[in-house]
This record gives sequence, C-alpha cells and structure tokens, in this order.
Amino acid sequence: MSFAQSGVVALLLYLCALLAVAEVARRARRDSSPADHFLAGRDLGVFVLFLTLYATTYSGNSLLGYPGEAYRRGFSWIMATGFMMSIIVVFHALVPRLRPIAIANGFVTPGDWVRHRFEGDPGSRGLLLGVSLLMVIALGNFLFAQLKAMGELADQVTGGIVPYELGVFGLAGVILLYETRGGMRAVAWTDVAQGVLMLVGLAALLSWVLGSGGGLEAVTRSIIEVRPSAAVVPDARECANWVSTIVLLGLASVVYPQAIQRIYAARSGRVLARSFSLMTFMPLATTAVVTLIGLAAIPRFAELGAAEADRVMPLLLGEWAAAGPLLAVAALCVFIGALAAIMSTADSVLLSLGSMVAEDLMGRSHRDASTTLVGKRVAAGVMLAVAVLALNREITLWRLIELKMELLVQCVPAFLVAIHWKGLRARPTLVGLIAGTVVAIAGVLLGWKRIGGVHIGVLSLGLNLAIATLGSALAAGSRLERAPASE
Amino acid sequence: MPLSEIARRRLRRLLLFAIALLYIVSVPWYRTTGAVPDVVLGLPDWVTVALSCYVGVAVLNSIAWWLTDVPDETPRVDSGESSP
Repeated sequence: MSFAQSGVVALLLYLCALLAVAEVARRARRDSSPADHFLAGRDLGVFVLFLTLYATTYSGNSLLGYPGEAYRRGFSWIMATGFMMSIIVVFHALVPRLRPIAIANGFVTPGDWVRHRFEGDPGSRGLLLGVSLLMVIALGNFLFAQLKAMGELADQVTGGIVPYELGVFGLAGVILLYETRGGMRAVAWTDVAQGVLMLVGLAALLSWVLGSGGGLEAVTRSIIEVRPSAAVVPDARECANWVSTIVLLGLASVVYPQAIQRIYAARSGRVLARSFSLMTFMPLATTAVVTLIGLAAIPRFAELGAAEADRVMPLLLGEWAAAGPLLAVAALCVFIGALAAIMSTADSVLLSLGSMVAEDLMGRSHRDASTTLVGKRVAAGVMLAVAVLALNREITLWRLIELKMELLVQCVPAFLVAIHWKGLRARPTLVGLIAGTVVAIAGVLLGWKRIGGVHIGVLSLGLNLAIATLGSALAAGSRLERAPASE
Repeated sequence: MPLSEIARRRLRRLLLFAIALLYIVSVPWYRTTGAVPDVVLGLPDWVTVALSCYVGVAVLNSIAWWLTDVPDETPRVDSGESSP
C-alpha cells in the first residue's frame, strides 16, 4: 500500500472515530437547552476541559504555519512560545471575576456579559452589536482559514486521491454533522482525541528531526553556518515586534468567543483553575517544539524562498515517511494530528458562531430551547457559505485573516476594563471600539501593519482605551455636575 | 498548613509580578544587536535565556492558577440596609 493510499485509510478511520464519539456525546445530552448544546451542560471536568482548551487554542496555523515562520525568521520566533503562554497569564485578569457572574446569570455567549454589564446604559445595544459583529467577523475569517487548510492537507496526505474541493466539503460536512448532533460535548470529546494525536505526533517528529540532525547543538551550529542571520541577536525593531506580539496575542486571545464559552462550560471554578494550571505548559510542549522543527529545516532545505517556507512541515514529513515503513506510519500520525488541530479549531469556531449569531445578533434568548435549533441552522448556513468561498483555491483573503487579531483586540475594553472598573460606560466604549477598528483596518489596508515593529492593532487599542476611559470619566463628571442642579 | 486567604492573594500577586519580570528579561533588548551568539545548552545564548524565562513563566503561572480562587457564586455585597 502506498503512502497516499495509507493516508486515505487513516483519514477514513479517523473520521469514523470522530462520528462514533459524536454519537456517544449525543446520547449523553440531558435536554435540548442552549446551555446543554453550546456549553455541554456546564459540566466539563479538568481533563476534558484542559484538552479542549488545548486543541481549540492550537489551530492548523500553529502546526503548519509556525514552522514556516521559524524557518523564515530564525531563532527570534521563540517569541511564539512567549505569546502563546501570555494568553494563560492574561486570563488571570478575566476568569476569577467573569466566571461567578456568568454562572449566576446563565451566560451562554460573550454577548451575554456585555448585555448584563451595560444593561440600561445609553448605547448598550450598539455596543453589544459592535462587539458581537467584530467577534463574528473574526470567527468567520478564522473558519475560512481552517477550511482552506483542511482541503490543502487532505490533498497532501492522500496524494490527491482526496482532492482539495472534496477535502473542504467532506471535512466541513463531518464537522457540521458531529457538531450539530453532539454540540459542545461532541466538540470537547473529539478535542480530547485530537489533542492527544497532536502531542504524540509532534514529540515523535521532533525526536526524529533532532536525532537525524546529530542533536540540538549540531543543528544549531549548522544553522549558524548556513544562515548566520537566523541566530544573531535581533535588532530593536524585532524586539519591539516581540513585545507587541505578546501584548496583541495575549489580549486578543483572551476575548476569543470559544475561549470565553469554555469559561462558562467548566464544571466548577476549581476545575477551570486546574485546567489553566496545566494549559500554561502547553506552549513548551507545542509552540517551542514546532519552532525547533522549523529551525531544524534551515540546514536541510537551505534553498527554500520566503514564499515556499510554509511547505517546511510537509517537506519534512515527506522525508520522514521515505525513511522507512515505521516512520511512514509516524508521519501519517503527524498529518492526521495536524488535520485534527485544524478540525478541532474549526468545530469550536462554528459552535461559537452559531450561538453568537442566534443570540447576540438575532436577539434570541438563551433560556429559550428553540434557540438551540436556530443556532444549529445558523451554523449550517455559515459552514455552507464559508465552504463555498473556500472552494476557490486562489482566493486571497489573507489580509482579512491577518486582521483577525487586530479586530478582536478592540473588544478588550468591553471585557477586561469593564470587569474591573464600574465607571466604564457603554457609549464611550462603543466610540472607542469604532475608532480603534477603523484605524486598525485602515492601517492594514494601507500596508502599515506595524509601525516601528509595533502592531497597528496595539496602537489602535491604545486609542480605543483612551476614548473609552476618558469618555467614561467625563460622562461621570458631567452627571455629578447635573445632579445638584436638578436637586 | 494551608495558606490563609490573604497570604494566597499576596503570593499570587508576587508570582504575577515575577512573571512580568521574566517576560521583560525574555526579550533580548539589552543585548548588542547583530552579535554572533555563544551556543549554550544547544541553543544561541539569548534563545536559551528566553526559553528559560518561558519555562519559569510556565511554572510560576501554574502555581498562580493553583492559588487562584475562581468562585462559582457572586460574593454577596452588603447593601448597608438593616434587616427588619
């Protein structure tokens, strides 16, 4: 059996296993309420919560994109380990305060927090719409990227036996099937299998890459010899970019809707804290590993251009698979692991999209059981639309995808500031959000993605925060002045 | 002996402060730009420093989460009104 045929068999076995898990999850459901479907009845334990957080946070980009980035940028890409870890650090500012309020009020979506926090405040409806719209756009972009990556990977694993188009539609169909049948429970349980596959595959690949290169020190010395610029101390601009990326990713990832919904879905606050205490090690087990894999590719494929760097992972796996039948099986595990990473991110994104559009944009109540059905229909419609869009292999929406973090980070004041400062008002927060978003989009479209190494998203967040906080302070001052006059 | 609530909070704050310091040290802004590095523990020295800082962040952050009390109920706020 050829490697491509083995790929088809492995893919089919994997998909059958996913559907079986989804069926078990469907039978485990308690009722048809939105909380049961979208949050697994708020009953996720430490192990499942930890692995679903892990599989959701680490997308296909982490496994396929980061090695290419390490290959392009050299050792400074170690910053990726830092920014992935910063997400779990920044959660300290949100989780202990948000969780009890979410449980007391039965939150299902991120918009439920905005609705609750700014209730009765002038401009609160606009703020809810603004925050939800930004999140839905960012998630839509994210889903689009995952579907494209799924199609490409299925094509590569099976040597074209499963073509790109079939990969996109077939895998999107499978995700939709298990997500609509089993909801968050199915997503979380399949995430467990997907997370384990990712970890095992990466550990095996790293040991082979370093082992065949003569060990870590030999690989590093080869990199210094082949491309010294990859190992020298980075300049001030790269250091500024390092700090800016940690700030942008740390803040924006905390307001990922699928991450916020997992805060609501934990069985208890204690379970949540234990899961985070494990999650903090995962950048070392994943991001640092894929960075080292990408770096080890520098002396192996010295001639690759910047544009071809994204092919580093498939090239390494191809070499690995050719080294022997046992290694071919291991390479297949990594391929399926990468596919698992993409699918686990896509399913969580889709679940969040369905609930957010149904509740926050269409105004359905999270206490109404029919909202679950509406959410499922929305998810199906969104999946179909995005899959059709992704069918065009040549389409380049990458600029929009790059905007994802710049857009999401504009929601930070409505969550992180609002939860710590009672004085924050809806209208100035909305104005700040609009101003920050306009500046971020304009900056990216004009090609000013970074200024002096600092992301336009971070700079526009500064403007956003200034407007939201100063505007709220001024509004409080004018209210105090009016109060004695009215008396 | 279990830590008191105040001691836990203080220790958690201290850990978060240490994490912030580790992040500052992890970025090689204080090194000479373009310098060819020594290889320490199999990696360029500035990369070893950065990675060691991130290992430190992971350990301290893990402890900080163990010390974090994530309540499942909103703490009762005393309204100041006396009950009848």
